[in-house]
Amino acid sequence: MSNYIPTIGVEVHVELKTKTKIFSNSKNGYGQMANSLTNVIDLGYPGTLPTLNEEVVNLAIKAATVLNCKIRKQMHFDRKNYFYPDNPKNYQITQFQTPIGYDGYVEIELNNQKKKIYIEEMHIEEDTCKSTHRGTKTLLDFNRAGVPLIEIVTKPCMSSKKEAVLYLEKLKELLFYSDISDCKMEEGSMRADANVSIRKNESDPFGTKVEIKNIGSISNVGLSIEKEIKRQEKLYNNNETFKEQTRRFDDKLEDTVLMRVKETGNDYRYFPEPDIPFVVITDEMIEEVKKTIPMLPDERREKYKELGVSDINTNKLVQNRSLSDYFNQLLDKNTNHKIASNLLLGDISQYLNKTEKEIFDTTLTIPRFLELISLMEDNTLTSKNLKEIIDIVLESNKTIKEIMKDENIENITDDNAIREVIKQIISNNQESVEDYKNGHDRAIKYLMGQVMKETKGKANPKMAMDILIEELQ
Amino acid sequence: MKYLNKNIEELHTLLKNKDIKPIDLVNEAFENIENNKELNAYITLNKEEAIKQAKELENKEVDNILFGLPIAIKDNIVTKDLKTTCASHILENFIPIYDATVVEKIKAKNMIIIGKTNMDEFAMGSSSRTSYFGAPHNPWDHNKISGGSSGGSATTIAARDLLFALGTDTGGSIRQPASYTGIVGMKPTYGRVSRYGLVAFASSLDQIGPMTKNVYENALLLNVICGHDDHDLTSSKKEVEDFTRLIGKDIKGMKIAVPNFFVSDIVNREIIDKLKDTIELLKKLGATVDYIDMKYIDNAVTLYQIIAMGEASSNLARFDGIRYGYSTENPKDIEELYFKTRREGFGKEVKRRIMVGSYLLSGKNAQDYYFKALSIRDDMKQEFTKVFENYDYIIGPTTTTTAYNLTDPMDDPRKSFLDDVLVIPVNMAGLPGLNIPIGFDKENMPIGMQIIANNFEEAKIYQLASILEKELNLNLEPKRGENNE
Amino acid sequence: MEDKLTKEEVLHVAKLARIDITEEEIEKYQVELKQLLNEVEKINEVKGYDDEILIAPWSDNTTLRSDSEGEMLDPKKVIENAPKHSGNYIEVPVVIGESEGA
Repeated sequence: MSNYIPTIGVEVHVELKTKTKIFSNSKNGYGQMANSLTNVIDLGYPGTLPTLNEEVVNLAIKAATVLNCKIRKQMHFDRKNYFYPDNPKNYQITQFQTPIGYDGYVEIELNNQKKKIYIEEMHIEEDTCKSTHRGTKTLLDFNRAGVPLIEIVTKPCMSSKKEAVLYLEKLKELLFYSDISDCKMEEGSMRADANVSIRKNESDPFGTKVEIKNIGSISNVGLSIEKEIKRQEKLYNNNETFKEQTRRFDDKLEDTVLMRVKETGNDYRYFPEPDIPFVVITDEMIEEVKKTIPMLPDERREKYKELGVSDINTNKLVQNRSLSDYFNQLLDKNTNHKIASNLLLGDISQYLNKTEKEIFDTTLTIPRFLELISLMEDNTLTSKNLKEIIDIVLESNKTIKEIMKDENIENITDDNAIREVIKQIISNNQESVEDYKNGHDRAIKYLMGQVMKETKGKANPKMAMDILIEELQ
Repeated sequence: MKYLNKNIEELHTLLKNKDIKPIDLVNEAFENIENNKELNAYITLNKEEAIKQAKELENKEVDNILFGLPIAIKDNIVTKDLKTTCASHILENFIPIYDATVVEKIKAKNMIIIGKTNMDEFAMGSSSRTSYFGAPHNPWDHNKISGGSSGGSATTIAARDLLFALGTDTGGSIRQPASYTGIVGMKPTYGRVSRYGLVAFASSLDQIGPMTKNVYENALLLNVICGHDDHDLTSSKKEVEDFTRLIGKDIKGMKIAVPNFFVSDIVNREIIDKLKDTIELLKKLGATVDYIDMKYIDNAVTLYQIIAMGEASSNLARFDGIRYGYSTENPKDIEELYFKTRREGFGKEVKRRIMVGSYLLSGKNAQDYYFKALSIRDDMKQEFTKVFENYDYIIGPTTTTTAYNLTDPMDDPRKSFLDDVLVIPVNMAGLPGLNIPIGFDKENMPIGMQIIANNFEEAKIYQLASILEKELNLNLEPKRGENNE
Repeated sequence: MEDKLTKEEVLHVAKLARIDITEEEIEKYQVELKQLLNEVEKINEVKGYDDEILIAPWSDNTTLRSDSEGEMLDPKKVIENAPKHSGNYIEVPVVIGESEGA
């Protein structure tokens, strides 16, 4: 069995998070009544003309920026001509000659090594309408027609499924974080196609290209690439050749299935869209957009690690954008970030999951959170205590101390008071003291239990333990 | 009593003084149209609605000069709830659900839409004979064409059915029929008038414009329909101005250029002679006239074939029998739905142009021809700009011949473009151009002259046209029934 | 140079245009499209122009529309003009395969 080198390129379509469609002012929405989000422009009525949504251009500039693309200062649109029932004008307005962004990259980390995945170009275009097949007919819903898309095309520069998956995860994270798209593959707001070919040596020409279309999840992209590479290897090993073709990934078969063999090549008759003359992108526009880009995931990760947050917590935080945004407000605060991250990902997350809330929907302002962290840090409030009052902490506006008081959680943090109790217990339990001195670990736990019992659990455990050990010396 | 052959100012005074009511004018317009039925100027009449509107206007203040006046609209401009066919079987029963911007503007002035005028199918043709509803006839000689594609609008104005009509001009479709029928027709600067609601033929060339019996009324109608429109990205933000403001102002010292191509042997002798008489008149009035050479204008028809057909093939792709319009019966699959609907729905010339456009954009033809054409077009526009650095106007004949017989063969595909060889360069460069009648040939058919000026200088065009109109003082009213035995 | 297109070439164009054409029309287009091509060949003789293209005879910069919602159609209006519909949907004969586009 000989080894082949795979060459992989990925094309991604993402729907942009705008209020209205790209070329008309009807609503950009999902999951609503069929044909309720359209106007005469979306339906391609005779005489209608496109207008261009400012926010689409802004989001595309933003995407180009976060994907490290160069931005074209003067661009136009092109018509891609093909008949299909989901294509209302029977041409799609897209960018063929002058994509808004080009020559970019996304950095991934593979086996602790950074690698740039190069982006050939990214362009703006309109989505098609949704068709549903029912027996002998196909039903058309034009709500999606004209939803703004950007298509991001990599160079054929990846050589494993792992790289493709990492690229997509990174891309999704970047676009999601910069509020360009909600990137929900299950709702179709992010769609991926993969181009796969294999060859024996780096010096060989590329092998025959197979395009795998509309794969429903990132993991399936990985799986379909893996299966496709195997399929091609098998064919080559049997000295079989095959034609350039389009396949799709079948979820049930967990394999790719042939859709069509490319004929003489598509004849889309591209030409510049005369209804939208040149669009000029000024440096001012780019600067304005740059101001709206939040801190990106890589920078967040770096900052969190510097503040002593564990790798696991760092990754978990970055995976949850609202928690991460919340956490970012603590970056310049003098506090214990480690405890902060534990709290956010622990009890607070549990509460948020339970109540289906976002952190910003709770009453936990930054000052209250800082108070909470500091009470936890000096053990005034124990984890056990917190579990009891977490709902109140996140739903009321009282200070944490007030809540503790209301709920009768008052840990004895008075050094002397605890010491009195401990002295009493030591003198009443000489047997256990002996056991401790003879090296029986259980004895100290017993003594601590007595302390907590005596103080009705209100003694600060860490403090009590420290004093107990001191007194036992 | 006839009112609709009066001038606008008289009519306005009569309406204002309540001597007549809008309904009188509406009734008269429909009467005229009925009497001229054989001219076949209309596809759809808006009788019920027009009468209703006229009556409603009786209680309103006569607040502008076009108030209550009837207007005819070319049938490729969409009118809400009023059938808009583009003279095509494929839209034979199509009822738009929105108004074109120009229609909104006309309604805002309380003008009354009388009907939708006949035209070449999807404005593709130069004699209106490609209409699914048969060609309109020239009021000067019923055996002759009215020209095209705005043939119906030209016919109804020339026949004095009413005062105002809208046409559209992609490659001469306002100016050429205006010339054939002896009326005034203006193609404004590209971007002057919103194209929203104009069913596109060639998007980068199409422009809506006024067609009237005289210059003043033409300028008044342009006042109403122009202006920036947020719905059309190619609509200009240039301020709206009063296009009548230079009318009657003398033209002493004006510099006029005549491209040699416009008076070359492609033009009928009689027309050149008439043009030369007019040039002498202009000189007498104090203008200077130079004959110049211009690069690229002799390529305009070729560029037009590539660009206009290319755009058209794409613009007409939306007529597929799915969302609106004609749809073939019981197609067995989606491909049959497309192929048959379009075969049955489109006429011969439209199909031919879609085929040509598709061919010239297909494969490597787009690179070899289309993009070259776009480059040459850019330089051609610059060539015009250069001329206007030294000249106020470019003039020439509007057409190479006068109106020909309806029965002349129409199977030479290039004939149609050759009819428009003198008017197409203006669309290519996006400039304003106007036809003004300058006389008649020996068969008493009107001869027209084209006046071209720099971008957005329509007012200046009206200035020159109004001076000629006054000096020539032609009788431009065809005698009803004459030449029509 | 062959003075006409092949039948296949004409059929390819008819397929792009989605227009059903007869044998007779195919023959006509074989000649006519070729003639036309020879005619537009003429632009290859034009010299002296630069690469700048003109998309529309237009000089202002494109104005962008602000992202705020406007009026939409009632679904009933959407289907009113459609030759075939089913509920709120516009209906076509079943389409097999995937869109070539987006």
